[in-house]
Amino acid sequence: MGFWLQLLGPHGVFRTLPICFLLVLLSWLVPPQGFSGPLGDQSYLSELQDRAASLGLADEREWQVLLHYRRTLLGGVESMQDDPGFFLDLQGKTNPQKELAATLVQFFSDDLVGRSKQPGQCAFVARYHWLQERLQFDGARLPPLPCERFRQWFDEFNAEAISLIFPTGFMNNPSSMFGHTFLRVDGKDQTPQTRILAYTINYAAEVPPDAGIEYVFKGVAGSYPGYFSTIPYYLKVQEYRDIDNRDIWEYRLNLTEQQVTRLLMHTWELGNAYFDYYFFGENCAYHILSLIEAAEPSVHLLDAFPAYTIPVDTVRRLRESGLVGEVISRPSRSTLVRRKRASMTGDERRWLDRLIRNPAGLKEDGFQTLPFDRQAFVLETASDYLLQHSAGAGEEGAPYREKNRSILRARSELKVTPTDLPIQPYVKQPDLGHGTSRFGIGAGWRNQRAFEEVNLRAAYHDLLDPEPGYTPDAQIEIVSVGVRHYHNQSQARVERFGLINITSLAPIDALSQAPSWKFNIGMNTIRYNGCQLCSNGVASGGIGAAMESSLFKREVYFAFAEAEANYSQAYDEHHRIGGGGTVGMLTDLTDRWKLMLSGSYLRYALGDKSEDIRWFAGSRYTLSPNWALRVEYNHRDHDDDVVFSVQAFF
Amino acid sequence: MKKAVMLAVVGMFMATQGGLALAAGNPDSGPGCGLGHLAFQNYPHQKTIGVQLMEATTNASFGSQTFAISSGTSNCTNDGKFWAEHKVNAFAALNFENLSQDMAQGRGEHLASLATLMGIPATQQSAFFAMTQEKYASLMAAGETSPVALVKALNEAVATHPMLAKASAE
Repeated sequence: MGFWLQLLGPHGVFRTLPICFLLVLLSWLVPPQGFSGPLGDQSYLSELQDRAASLGLADEREWQVLLHYRRTLLGGVESMQDDPGFFLDLQGKTNPQKELAATLVQFFSDDLVGRSKQPGQCAFVARYHWLQERLQFDGARLPPLPCERFRQWFDEFNAEAISLIFPTGFMNNPSSMFGHTFLRVDGKDQTPQTRILAYTINYAAEVPPDAGIEYVFKGVAGSYPGYFSTIPYYLKVQEYRDIDNRDIWEYRLNLTEQQVTRLLMHTWELGNAYFDYYFFGENCAYHILSLIEAAEPSVHLLDAFPAYTIPVDTVRRLRESGLVGEVISRPSRSTLVRRKRASMTGDERRWLDRLIRNPAGLKEDGFQTLPFDRQAFVLETASDYLLQHSAGAGEEGAPYREKNRSILRARSELKVTPTDLPIQPYVKQPDLGHGTSRFGIGAGWRNQRAFEEVNLRAAYHDLLDPEPGYTPDAQIEIVSVGVRHYHNQSQARVERFGLINITSLAPIDALSQAPSWKFNIGMNTIRYNGCQLCSNGVASGGIGAAMESSLFKREVYFAFAEAEANYSQAYDEHHRIGGGGTVGMLTDLTDRWKLMLSGSYLRYALGDKSEDIRWFAGSRYTLSPNWALRVEYNHRDHDDDVVFSVQAFF
Repeated sequence: MKKAVMLAVVGMFMATQGGLALAAGNPDSGPGCGLGHLAFQNYPHQKTIGVQLMEATTNASFGSQTFAISSGTSNCTNDGKFWAEHKVNAFAALNFENLSQDMAQGRGEHLASLATLMGIPATQQSAFFAMTQEKYASLMAAGETSPVALVKALNEAVATHPMLAKASAE
């Protein structure tokens, strides 16, 4: 255990409490080296406090941003910041005036404050610089401190610009499905080739290593603290590109040198801070925006996210604010493999598939007769594949790593450079995709009864929605509702409600064999046992496989084995539980027109013993990125339902 | 999970499995961070250590503790950034697999970044890339023992290279 403490120093949060405690004790016992205590001319302090009060500085936007104040329902303000050490006044969390006065007090002292244990001027360097700018401190009466730690940290960035990095959605981790955002500090001495050396500014929840399923609930409830850190970009690239296989989009932000400096100063201050991390609201994307507000307080970014924050919406907000400059993509390892393989001749592809299974094949005449640059290309692709499967795979990755050694040894013997293949990511530029909420209005017939319908979905994307900007073949619907009015009824009724409905199709090919899966909790309407329109609660899940072809444009076929539980007044014993299967296909007929067909058979063995055969046919035509037309036909036992609708994304 | 993260942090300088056994008795494993010794003593199942590093980088605890902003000094980092003297070794250890691919191809961003950290001037980098491809087998033989040994072998190769030696001496 000793080494653990030694490694992480006093700031490991979970296992290092005894050490923290010890250090606190020591700091009481051992007087700090050098001079400590009041600085400058104390009579100047009250003068500055008076000037700040008469100028109303505490109400200015800059102060509100630096302290993360947000209006409360009662008309006051409260800081979202949750570490008491971030405030220099005991009431600082809710009282901007007192906090400002106390901050000025601290500037006249070199006592160490905050979690970062520095003098006030250095621990809260952004506050210091803003107040210095507004109050024009007299250096003789309030001597500025050198703040070497900050200076060294700041200089090492050698910052030229800030980029917002957006790893696209990752279906196999609930907290990553909507993607993630963090900042990268681009150095003046870096080139596009050495950009991975940049440091990032990342905000993440600190989850105890042994957290189980409670992680999801606690994450939603804000029970974990979120901290800022400067993880090297090469580690983030490994994490997202190599291990998670997520395409990454990089947005250079249009910030002046002065704005970049302000952003970094405030980042330094946040070393004293933590925020309760909420998966939906105050998440990574939200607090990254708060840093950009610190760079340029005149732009209001956070106001757009009062309830929940979807990362792509923050990118869109930045674009609307004119802050987004150059945009580039960094395709995932799996994208590299798939694109490179698709560009190969049939012969090359066969060699690729063989070599990744058994590298010994490269000695054979057949492979040796390929031109050298094509051999190199096949070997590089094979290496990409083997890296894709060994990255983060633990011991199971060892066989891949061994094969990769053989492949790379052969590659190193070919002194050629294959032609560069420009690689298009699978997820197109996310902020140019459709809005994350959807509203629809439609009409149709259900069992010869005409109806009108309105529907609303809070988030995010389904399999038929226009695909640009979203992870292909992935559906995440959170909170959706459809309300119908049938012509022979006086009242409208909630036809369906979806809490969560997720489908992840992972097409299998020669190189990747991941399962597809789906999960749904919601309510729909059935006709059953004489009940014409009966509400029916549904919980279901399935696991299966998908394949793709490109006979026409692109087709994806899928099959699931699934289990389902229903609850409704219409059933005997009010419920039924069973299982079955679904097969279906999705196809792009043109860039705008997509079709989906599926059929299911379910047999319910518990509760109301019954069976159900369902058909679905749906078609979407894209009018513009945020407008689409739909026709959907749903058949289930005793029910036929057709609806035409127009949908708007916002 | 708990163990994985601990292993990961100590595994920082050993991205290869083979490296660990040797790192225990290897003074090259970095005096400041010096994690090799500790890792070996505490974890007899060293096979899993290095590779778990990758998974650990996905874990928030790893990032926010090791790279926490204004967190003061630790053996490896200073206020959340690697100490200058550990940068090259840390990069080689943490990017070992990507580096080996770049060296075999004689190009790539990981190789270019390592060259930059090693102080190879931009004009000489293509010669450096060609050299790593040329000597791939022997460099990897060193790298398999430990990434630190790889860096050492690269430095030696640069020192004995007619063009590179001159450039880096200037």
